[in-house]
Amino acid sequence: MTLFEGIKDQEYEVRSLYIEEKTSRRLQALGLNDGTRVKVLNRKKNGAMIIAVRGTRLALGRRILNGIEIIPLPEINDSETVSMKSAERR
Amino acid sequence: MTSNATIKETIKETIKESIHVALAGNPNCGKTTLFNALTGAHLKVANWPGVTVEKKEGTAVYQDIPITLTDTPGIYSLTSYTIEEQITRQCLMDEEIDAIINIVDASSLERNLYLTMQLLELGKPVILALNMMDIVEERGLEIDLHRLPEMLGDIPVIPISAIKKKGLDILLHAILHHYANEPHEFVIDYGPLIESKIDKLSVIMSARYPTHSLVRWHAVKLLEDDEAVKSDHPVRITDIVNKSYEKEIIQAKYAYIESVINEVILYQDKVKKSTDRADHILTSPYFGVPIFLAIMGLIFFFTFTIGDWLKGYFEVLLEVLTGAVNNLLAAMPVSDWLVSLIVDGIISGVGAILTFIPNLAILFLALAILEDSGYMARVAYVMDGIMGKAGLSGKAFLPMILGFGCTVPAIMAVRSLESERDRRRTMIIIPFMSCSAKLPVYVLFSGMFFGEYAGLAAFSMYILGVACAVLIAKALHILGKNKDNESLLIELPEYKRPNFRTIRIFVGDKLRHYLTKAGTVIFAVSIVIWLLLNFGPGGMVSNPADSYGAVIGRALVPLLKPAGLGMWQIAIALISGISAKEVVVSSFIVLFGANGQMNTTGSMIDQIRLIAPDFGALNAYAMMVFCLLYVPCAAAVGTIWKESGSTRFTVGLMVFQVAFAWLAAVLVYQVGSLFL
Repeated sequence: MTLFEGIKDQEYEVRSLYIEEKTSRRLQALGLNDGTRVKVLNRKKNGAMIIAVRGTRLALGRRILNGIEIIPLPEINDSETVSMKSAERR
Repeated sequence: MTSNATIKETIKETIKESIHVALAGNPNCGKTTLFNALTGAHLKVANWPGVTVEKKEGTAVYQDIPITLTDTPGIYSLTSYTIEEQITRQCLMDEEIDAIINIVDASSLERNLYLTMQLLELGKPVILALNMMDIVEERGLEIDLHRLPEMLGDIPVIPISAIKKKGLDILLHAILHHYANEPHEFVIDYGPLIESKIDKLSVIMSARYPTHSLVRWHAVKLLEDDEAVKSDHPVRITDIVNKSYEKEIIQAKYAYIESVINEVILYQDKVKKSTDRADHILTSPYFGVPIFLAIMGLIFFFTFTIGDWLKGYFEVLLEVLTGAVNNLLAAMPVSDWLVSLIVDGIISGVGAILTFIPNLAILFLALAILEDSGYMARVAYVMDGIMGKAGLSGKAFLPMILGFGCTVPAIMAVRSLESERDRRRTMIIIPFMSCSAKLPVYVLFSGMFFGEYAGLAAFSMYILGVACAVLIAKALHILGKNKDNESLLIELPEYKRPNFRTIRIFVGDKLRHYLTKAGTVIFAVSIVIWLLLNFGPGGMVSNPADSYGAVIGRALVPLLKPAGLGMWQIAIALISGISAKEVVVSSFIVLFGANGQMNTTGSMIDQIRLIAPDFGALNAYAMMVFCLLYVPCAAAVGTIWKESGSTRFTVGLMVFQVAFAWLAAVLVYQVGSLFL
C-alpha cells in the first residue's frame, strides 16, 4: 500500500520510495527513507497529509504520498519497536 | 586558575585578524535569531522554513576579540541539489572559515543531527549550539549533555536559547577555545562494502591531488555521485563507483543518529504534545479552511476598525502641525510658492502617508504573530487543496500571504518553491495580493465613499486580489503544457508562544521601511507632483488645469473613461503610484486638497465633484480595483526582474497587469452602472 492510503493515528514503516529523484533525495535528507517509521497525524480526505517522521512533522501532498510504499506496523510500545528495529539492522 | 587576561593574551597571540565563523543549521532552527542575538543585527526572522536565502555577515565581539559570523541559509543536508545547499556548502568549505557553529533545534534533534553528521565530516572544528532547550523541557524531555558530545567526536555541545539570549557568552567562549583546534576525527562506519570503496577512492584521490585535506569526505561524496565534487576534482572511478550509494550512506548516518538518540534523549514517549492537540483542530479537514479564513478576517477587521480609530488621532495631529507650519511660514518673509510647496506639496503628501501608521502597525503585528507562532507553515497544508486546483502546491500560498505585507520579500520567498514553473507562476500572481502600501488607497477611497461599509469595501479588495490570483494561476495551469502538480513538501514547526523580541524586530523593521519610503520616494514624488501641477508650458500657473500635469493626464483620460476614472488628476495619481503605491494617496491629496486647506474627507469629495459631479462609490471602487491589480511599485518590479532573471518575463508581466487591471476596472464600472 502507499502512504496515501494511510489512516489517521496509524503507524507505518516505509518500504520504498517511488518518486522522482529530486524529491526522494529531499525526503531522505529529512530522514524519510526505507525502513523509517512514520505516523499519520492528520489527513484530508483526498489530498495532503501531516505525518510524524523522526520527531518532526511534515506536510506532504498527494503525489508524494502516492510514491511512498509502506507496510502497517502493529501497535506496540514505541520504544520497543525502535530498539527491535535497530537490533535487526545490526 | 587562568584569568581572563591570560586567556585573551594566549588567544591574541595565535589569532589571525579576526576569527571567522559560519553558522549552519536546518531551516527554522533559530540561526537568524542567534545571528541577531550575537551581532545585534536586525535580520528578519520567521517561523517557517526558507527565510534566509542569501548569506549575511556580522561581527560579535567577545573579550575584545572580533568574531566575524556568517549566517547561511537553512539546509537539511550538504549535497548540492538546491541553491541554498550550494551557497552554504561553498561558504562552509571556504578557507576563510575557521570554525562552524552548528545550531540545532534540540526539540527535533534526530533530524537536525543528520546535518551535524555531515558537518563533522568536513574536518573543520564544529561547535554544537543546542537551541530551544526550553521546548525540550516544556515537553518533559531531557537530553543527556554528557553522552551527546561523547558520541559526536567530543565536540563542544552548548545549550543556548537564542531568543532569550542565554548561553551566548559560553558559545563565544567555546569558539575562542576551539576554532584553532584540529578537530577529533569523527568517522561513521558505512559498512564493509562502502568502506572498502572509500579506501580505494582515497588512494586514488591522494595520488591525484596530494595536497587535498578532505580525502575521506571527498570519497564519500564521490560515492554519493555528487555533481559538484565530480567536476571540481575529476578522477576516473568508473571501475569502483558503478552506481550512486547515496541511499546507503544516508541510511548509515541515520542508523548512527538513531543510536545517539536512543542514548541521549530521555522520556521520549511520555509526552502528549500540545502541538498535536492544536493541530487536531487547526489543520482539521473540516475546520482548517474556515479557521484560516476567520483568522484573516479578524486580522483585517482589527486593521480597519482599530486602525482607523487611531488614525483619527494621527490626522488631528497632522492638522495641528500643518496649521503651525502655515502660521510660522506666514510670519516669515517667505514667498508664496515656497509656502505652497511645503504645505500643499510636502506636508500634505508625506503627512497623509504617515497617518496610516496605525493601520499598518496592526497588520504587521498580526502577520508577525502568525509567523512566529508556527501557524503560517500550516496554512500551506490547509490551503493545499484549493491551491492544488490552480495547479500550485500549498507552499505557494506562503509567499502570497507575505504579499499582504510587501511584494518585495514575497517575490524573494518564491525561491523556496521547488520548480521553476511554480516560481514563475507564483511571481505572476503575488502582485495581485494587497500589499500594505495599497492599504492607504483602500482606506482613503472606501472612507470617502462607502460610509459605514468602508471596512467591508476595503476588505473586499483583499478577497478580490486573492480570487484574481487563484484565477490567473488556474488559467495558467489550464493553458500550460505540464499538468503535473508540484506536490506539497513542507516541515511544520512546533507551535510556540510568539516571542516579543522577534515580533518587535519584525514590526519595527516594516514600519521603519515604511517611514523611510515616506521620507524618500514619497517625499520626492510629492515635490515632483507639486512641480507638475504648478508649472505649465507658460511658466508657473495659478490654475492646475493649465499645468504640465494636466497635459500629461489628459492624454490618458480617454483610456480611463470607460472605467469611470476619466479625470486627468487620476491619471497622474496612477502614474505616480508606480513609484510606490502610497503615492496614489499622497498625489491624490496634493491634487485635490490644494488651496492650502486641510484635506478632510468632506472637502476632498467636494473638490473631486467640482470636476466630476457624478464621481461616486462605483467610481471609487473601480479606482480601488485598478490600484489593486495594476503594475506593482518600482521596487517590486525590480525584484521580479532580478529573481526571474528575464527582462522579457518582467516586461510581459507589467503589460499583462496593466491590461488586466484596466479590464477589471472597466468591467466593475460598466456592470456596476447597469445596476446603480
